[in-house]
Amino acid sequence: MTDLVRLEGLEVHFPIRSGLIDILARRPRAYIRAVDGIDLAIRQGEVLALVGESGSGKTTTGRVIVKLTRQTGGTVAFDGQDVTKLWGVKALREYRRRVQLIFQDPYETLNPKQTIHDFVAAPLEVHGIAKGIADKEERVLAALDAAGLRPASDFAFRYPHELSGGQRQRVVIAGALVMNPELVVADEPVSMLDVSIRTELLRLMLDLRAERNLTYLFITHDLSLAWVIADRVAVMYLGKIMEIGPADQVIRSPHHPYTKALVSVSPTPEPPTGEMKRTILAGETPDAARIPPGCRFHPRCPVAFDRCRVEQPPLFDVGNEQSAACWLVEGGGALPELPSQVVATPTIGVE
Amino acid sequence: MNMPLDEDGLSDVIRRREYDEAAEDEAVLLQRELAVGDRTTGPAEVAGEAAAASLIARGRRQWPLPKLADPTAPLLVVRDLRTWFKLETGWVKAVDGVSFRLNDGEALGLAGESGCGKTTTALSLIGLLPSNARVKSGSIELFGIDLVPKSENALRRYRWREISIVFQGAMNALNPVRRIGEQIAEPIEIRLGQPKDRALKRAGELLELVGIPAKRAQAYPHELSGGMRQRAMIAMALACDPAIVIGDEPTTALDVMVQAQILQLLERLRRELGLSLVLITHDLSVIAETCDRTLIMYAGKVAEEGPVARIFTAPRHPYTQKLLAAFPNIHADRRSLDTIPGSPPDLRKPPPGCRFHPRCPFVMDVCREVEPPEALFPDGVRVACHLHPPGRDGAVAVGPDEVAARGGRIEIAQPSAAEAPVAGHPAVPSPPPAPPASGQASS
Repeated sequence: MTDLVRLEGLEVHFPIRSGLIDILARRPRAYIRAVDGIDLAIRQGEVLALVGESGSGKTTTGRVIVKLTRQTGGTVAFDGQDVTKLWGVKALREYRRRVQLIFQDPYETLNPKQTIHDFVAAPLEVHGIAKGIADKEERVLAALDAAGLRPASDFAFRYPHELSGGQRQRVVIAGALVMNPELVVADEPVSMLDVSIRTELLRLMLDLRAERNLTYLFITHDLSLAWVIADRVAVMYLGKIMEIGPADQVIRSPHHPYTKALVSVSPTPEPPTGEMKRTILAGETPDAARIPPGCRFHPRCPVAFDRCRVEQPPLFDVGNEQSAACWLVEGGGALPELPSQVVATPTIGVE
Repeated sequence: MNMPLDEDGLSDVIRRREYDEAAEDEAVLLQRELAVGDRTTGPAEVAGEAAAASLIARGRRQWPLPKLADPTAPLLVVRDLRTWFKLETGWVKAVDGVSFRLNDGEALGLAGESGCGKTTTALSLIGLLPSNARVKSGSIELFGIDLVPKSENALRRYRWREISIVFQGAMNALNPVRRIGEQIAEPIEIRLGQPKDRALKRAGELLELVGIPAKRAQAYPHELSGGMRQRAMIAMALACDPAIVIGDEPTTALDVMVQAQILQLLERLRRELGLSLVLITHDLSVIAETCDRTLIMYAGKVAEEGPVARIFTAPRHPYTQKLLAAFPNIHADRRSLDTIPGSPPDLRKPPPGCRFHPRCPFVMDVCREVEPPEALFPDGVRVACHLHPPGRDGAVAVGPDEVAARGGRIEIAQPSAAEAPVAGHPAVPSPPPAPPASGQASS
């Protein structure tokens, strides 16, 4: 499989506005390091899940790929072409025809005063793709039908308030499909929906991939969703990739303590039994403006040791296309068992 | 602020709920505590008699029971509740004949899809329904006092002091221009009539209780992270030492790790304070983790109710089965995910017969015409489905009154007295200590 997208050393640093006193004191300008140097390849035809908590930089990464946010360093290559320096309306349009984005909240994505038809037809008009009205109608109806809104003609002239949450998200998917994209960046596409509806949409996304040879970047905070839909999973923490590999392997044999903890707290509809061991990390993801030195996960890591506090681990290959950024797996070591409870780290309450 | 005097003022003679009157109750609480201690994974924070004794001590109320309360009555009984919404186009039967019971110290999980009436049920309990909603019939009995006919003023005696609620979006529920500490202190000042300095001190203690340093009481909501805001909301719900805390999707907007922290906090508070919880969520994993019993709702009615260990391992109702199969479970097979075709019905015109029949894979003719009766099985599960009629497998038909009368006291299932596996359903591999058997049928 060839790589459709390749990120190399991607960095997105947002400057923090400094006050007058900061300027007078000549303090160096502070930055929020949302994405802090990641290398990532999305292969043709795969579903790559980017998993992380709030503030891990997963959404920013997705936005850079669709060019809604400008990177401050590194490159994004799409289909072998560097797109970081794309310039001008024409080039951007051409790129965005091939790369589409699905947002999280179908209630906010749709304009309440716009019919479903107009929402789906808008990109066709902007890009001037449709040849005449009949062609446009045909494309809109085909996209709605493909998104599972059947009969399409019945849905086309409804307004968003007439639809349920699941149907709205299907409309959003139809709006992305109508362009016949190659890559779809889906940012938490089912997080706002009921658990019972999520499955249907995930299945729709997988069917569409098979039919249209799509490639997905699936951004989510929920490892269990990633596990259902993804071929490969990349786990992000504070702007860095902690672990990446085939979904089954990353989840069944995580090689990074963070992944291991995430897997252990992943929701399951089974009453707890003695066998299940859960590692609940204390505190929350620290502020991306003050990233801890060394391994950025070390203040919350239950198995951190001296080296982690000073030296940042690179991604170590642990075999079978899986790699993890942890000193403990350097040279193919295995992770020790994690304690089931991690308490009293200084991160709580300190912001 | 001048609040109208409650029907029984705060100066009432302190009447304690006599937990320790009957020695058997103590034994029950002690066993319950041990069971709960074992249920938590990892080193049980509390174990042994000392901890159990402290639970009994804390399980006592700090404030008097309402004057009209019957100390022997069950904590909360909801009987045939019907809450409808009036629209221009007619009545929406959001809650249509729901009965359940909540015992002291128990956690009950209300689950179902959006629009199944779970939030409406909760808002009915606390009397916070929107203005177009009416409780058309039924009763909500707290300590034997029916709250439905109470006036808005009379309800104030119960709201927050007896039943409080933790809302979903902590950012929207907190006032952005007031400090966290003040917001938590407010109900203590107003509802309990404490002076401001005492109330603020108590707010600090409550924050410590939920894992936030007391000095953060000075913070504004935007200065706290999402998890901390939710903790602050929980502290606020605990402000008046209520008997029941309702959690309306308390963890839905949070990251998994923070969600795990909050659920752990709720579990700890329940154990330490002897709280009773009603958790409302569409996320079955939250219920599996936190609750003793669950009540699955569909289209305003009870589909299935019973101990979590039974319902989540051997569901009887097709809807429960589908809901569980549709849950992405990282610990199960990857591609075994099921879907529930169709969508919940329009509650202005619910389908005749069983409300789930248009989506049910096992639909029979009778389902389209006759509403299924509620049947109670010997293992304590109540199901409304024609596949499981009363009379089969030892099930008996139950009405709202039987539901209310069921399980008068917390009872501990004896390991030897475990029910024989019900025919057609595999025996449940019950975890060593039966989950606090408060939900078991008394039969």
